[in-house]
Amino acid sequence: MSSPSPSVEIMLEARGLTRSYRMGGRDLTVLSGADLTLYAGERLAIMGRSGAGKSTLLHLLGLLDRPDSGSLAIRGQATERLSRSARARVRNNEVGFVFQFYHLIPELSALENVLLPSMICEGPLRWLGNRKPHREHAANLLDELGLAERLSHKPPQLSGGERQRVAIARALASRPALLLCDEPTGNLDERTSAAITNLLFEVVQRHQQTLVMVTHDPELARRADRTLLLHEGRLTAEELVLGEPAQAPVAG
Amino acid sequence: MFRVFLAGRYTVARPVSYLAMVSIGLAIMALIVVWSIMNGFLEQTRDILRGSMADIVVFPVQRHEPAPRELLEALAREHPDVAAVSSRLVRPAIFKKYGSANVVLGNMQDAQHTQLMVMGMDAQAELAHTDLRVHLTNVHDPVFRVADPERPFDIALKDIALAEVRFNDPVPVLLGEATLRMWGLRRGDAIELVTLPDGMSLDGEPVTPTVLTFVIAGAFNSHHTDDNGKAYIPRADFGDWAGTVHELSELYVSAKPGVPLERLRDELGAVLDSSGVFCDVQTWEDRNKTWLAAVENERNILFVILGFFLLLVCTISFSVLTMLVQEKVRDIGILSAMGASSGGVGGVFAVVGMYIATLGGLLGLAAGWALSTYINDVKDLIEHVFEIQIFDRNVYAFSEIPTAINMDHNLIIAGVTMVAAVIICLLPAWRAARLDPVEALRHE
Repeated sequence: MSSPSPSVEIMLEARGLTRSYRMGGRDLTVLSGADLTLYAGERLAIMGRSGAGKSTLLHLLGLLDRPDSGSLAIRGQATERLSRSARARVRNNEVGFVFQFYHLIPELSALENVLLPSMICEGPLRWLGNRKPHREHAANLLDELGLAERLSHKPPQLSGGERQRVAIARALASRPALLLCDEPTGNLDERTSAAITNLLFEVVQRHQQTLVMVTHDPELARRADRTLLLHEGRLTAEELVLGEPAQAPVAG
Repeated sequence: MFRVFLAGRYTVARPVSYLAMVSIGLAIMALIVVWSIMNGFLEQTRDILRGSMADIVVFPVQRHEPAPRELLEALAREHPDVAAVSSRLVRPAIFKKYGSANVVLGNMQDAQHTQLMVMGMDAQAELAHTDLRVHLTNVHDPVFRVADPERPFDIALKDIALAEVRFNDPVPVLLGEATLRMWGLRRGDAIELVTLPDGMSLDGEPVTPTVLTFVIAGAFNSHHTDDNGKAYIPRADFGDWAGTVHELSELYVSAKPGVPLERLRDELGAVLDSSGVFCDVQTWEDRNKTWLAAVENERNILFVILGFFLLLVCTISFSVLTMLVQEKVRDIGILSAMGASSGGVGGVFAVVGMYIATLGGLLGLAAGWALSTYINDVKDLIEHVFEIQIFDRNVYAFSEIPTAINMDHNLIIAGVTMVAAVIICLLPAWRAARLDPVEALRHE
């Protein structure tokens, strides 16, 4: 992605995010003033050593967690004062999560797992009224990810790569503007990992979504428009690992 | 939508959910069956007790002067809510087989059947307003049955077994069917009833009881154990046998349909008091207050005990929900990540509790109704298969296990249980709602 023009929408803007945890009677500061500006359609990779706070940052960006201090706006909407239910609504409408360990509901089939976000969004009557388009959309997503023959299979009946594809389809189901992936290929073998990476970037491109990936995989990071390193609680531009300059503007 | 859907999948996927449903169902079934049987028992007992006596009984306070029978009957009949009245004379007696030299007192069992309350009654008046006719026709064996239930004291000379009695103008008597069986007697046999005449002094004077020979005109059977201690003779013959000038021991009063008996009792008491006739007026329920209260107490105690048991069973659904929340911590994180509110997450588990409680409740309601309805068929089957007796009809004088199914009560039992089970399940559901989504996602 080339440097965005001033007219490009800012998808997410974080300023001075701090987060610490109480562990073993001591305060452990994970984030200490992380800043980030993310543009719509951008694909961002965040790297860092284990325990650097990458997942914590992702949880903050996805409104699963609240920072101790700092501000976060998604599509210009400040989130600090949002109630729990309002934050849940933003997550449902604007954010899709993909986790390293897939996190599918084992009692549900692949199709039902993908339908779940739409069920969360709508009440029983409205959902039943819209059931057909919802099912079509979910089936199309799974088809797009090569799982047309696996709609009725439950997670234990799927391979790791297939499960992650179901998880990606589920993250895309509510047509979120922002896709947050926490080491999406971290639990897959090299070949499957490459296939999933390709699929992920294809669908994000096709659906014009903004992507934030937390990863240890340099190959995956290399596919991103920009890579940031989380070090000592702050985000910095990463050039050493990839050996190429970041193409998009670096926040903070 | 996801609450209903996901809760359904969680419920269906776990055998322990079915166990909780079945437990709740069985507990509700047990409570419904016990309630139906105890109500049936109470109803039949009331029917039996009521059938053997009138709605209201008036006991004149006996003084030296005989109670004015005609006045009492007239005063009672004047009350607009009174349908019919009849008078009885009552006297304790000792019964012995005709011709036996001594009165048999023997052991307690024999003693029960040698002592009777002999009641002098007007058969036609009693037939008009008591269940006498039913009690006479309850006797199926022709060797005990009266020749004509409309004239119960009539017995043809040819039916009297002993010639020496036949031509001695014997007084007819009706005895309980069980009494006749026990003593090996039948219709037409003779007995003797021994009593003490009125005005007899017991201060050192030799006691001379009066003895009269009676011929058995037939039997009655009210299905109540009291039958063993009763004998009916015509009121007209009572004075000669008992040596009494009294014409009345009890006045039996029947109320018109729908009249509250307590009110009629109080009003009759007031009327009789104001007329200068001192009486004790009791409803049939007053006379059996202790017995009915005991049955009601037994029913209520069983209900309370089973109610606690039922609440205990509800805690099974609490345990199931607690285990489910523990098992599904990561799912809670996933749902939160997908945008489910904390209320929505808690709702999933509350709906699981609702499914368990509702399905268990409906199961219990249906099973309770079915078992209450077919309890005697089930009893017969169990007795046949296991060759045991689980209901002795002689103990309660009921031919089968009585039940009175009250669907309103059953619905309340099932409804209260379901609500209790759901309320109990709200605690684990609330805990699920309070879980931190990030912690939940990291849960191993």
